[in-house]
Amino acid sequence: MKTSVIVIVVVALLVIYVIAQYNKLVRLNVTVDEAFAQIEVQLKRRSDLIPNLVETVKGYATHEKDAFEKVVQARAAATTASSVPAIAAADGALTQALRGLLAVAEAYPDLKASANFLSLQEELSTTENKVSFARQFYNDNVRSLNTAVKTIPTSFFVGLAKVDARDFYEVDDPQDRKAPTVKF
Amino acid sequence: MQASNRRKTIGLLMGMAVLIWLVAYAAMTYFGATGIGVMPFAVGIALISVWGSYYASDSLVVRMTGARVIEESENPKLFGLIQEVIIASGLPMPKVAIVQDTAPNAFATGRNPEHALIAFTTGILEAMDREQLQGVIAHEMSHVGNRDTLVSAIAATTAGAIALLSDFLMRMMWFGGGRRDRGSNSNPIALLLSLFVLILAPIAAVLLRSAISRRREALADATAVSFTRNPAGLRSALEVLAADSTVVRAKSNAVAHIWIESPLDASSVSKLFATHPPIQERIAALRAME
Repeated sequence: MKTSVIVIVVVALLVIYVIAQYNKLVRLNVTVDEAFAQIEVQLKRRSDLIPNLVETVKGYATHEKDAFEKVVQARAAATTASSVPAIAAADGALTQALRGLLAVAEAYPDLKASANFLSLQEELSTTENKVSFARQFYNDNVRSLNTAVKTIPTSFFVGLAKVDARDFYEVDDPQDRKAPTVKF
Repeated sequence: MQASNRRKTIGLLMGMAVLIWLVAYAAMTYFGATGIGVMPFAVGIALISVWGSYYASDSLVVRMTGARVIEESENPKLFGLIQEVIIASGLPMPKVAIVQDTAPNAFATGRNPEHALIAFTTGILEAMDREQLQGVIAHEMSHVGNRDTLVSAIAATTAGAIALLSDFLMRMMWFGGGRRDRGSNSNPIALLLSLFVLILAPIAAVLLRSAISRRREALADATAVSFTRNPAGLRSALEVLAADSTVVRAKSNAVAHIWIESPLDASSVSKLFATHPPIQERIAALRAME
């Protein structure tokens, strides 16, 4: 009688433990998916802003063909990319091209003063920040998932939960902020 | 660092609970049997005030500070900045409010991240650039994410309840002085001790509230940096606040601890009673992270 109670309790605790580990892995995986969806939303937003921006700049700076072409090409490349590293590379290229275009705009005082350009510039800089924060949030979550996938005890349940380590979203950008070391 | 900060906060909240118990115990010792009838009533008041602060803290604080909730169309730039921090933190979008005041300041409130509200004075929106404002928003969203808004609401009302309770009991002693001779407990040392507790409890409660709030400010600065990865933004925002000598007009003591910069004149309050760590210490801590 007494031993059967103990056996039941131990089995029940074991089942609860397995469920907890399984759920932890699945939850981390879903968070990574959500974080990636956020990156895509922000990339799409930025992509939508570009035609308007190019038209506005063209109205003032007709001779800067080079800068426009780079942006248009980078935008086209970004829309066809599908894997995480490819999307990240196209994203980085588009960021660089946009910076080039905005640097060109600096030389045209009339353009810089136009209300349309100012509001576009504000929208572009907030979207640019959103993209980089979405990236950062995604990478933080991938880090937690990958740690869970590779460390005991969660690593035992990787097959059961059908999750695996994911790719980081790495953009080659010298201006990217490094995570600071927090110390007191 | 964040884990130890959280542990200390739990310790402080437990200190608060012990204090309530001490007040109740002291009152019972003092009054003997006659005092027990009062206790459920007094504890009821404390519970209702804590419960009320849980559900109504945001609307209460909004009313006390004169904030006005705004829509995205009224200030798209501010909403863009808040959305940036939302994406970085993974928290839900809060309600946004504006306080008509030239003094630069900001606060966060709400019982959980789903019912959060962050407010800014018109002064802070004018005085700060993009990066500084982003640091301020990250600091306020850290309060939301760390559940500080709930903890500080409960801490403030508990401190208030203890003050109310011991004040109430002191009055009872004053007017019901003759009755205690009939009480079962007339040990003079116990009576003296309980009187001592009743006098000191409100002071201790205020000290505890200040300590909870100060730890939470330091933690929120660290969390804000983990969101934006940019200690310089918040640091220069704090420098703007430190350089500004104007204070928010609606400076009620009860809501002092919710602002990013203390609205009370710091020089007249000792460090022990301050709800915020000195702004220079916070700037130095952020500089060390750069």
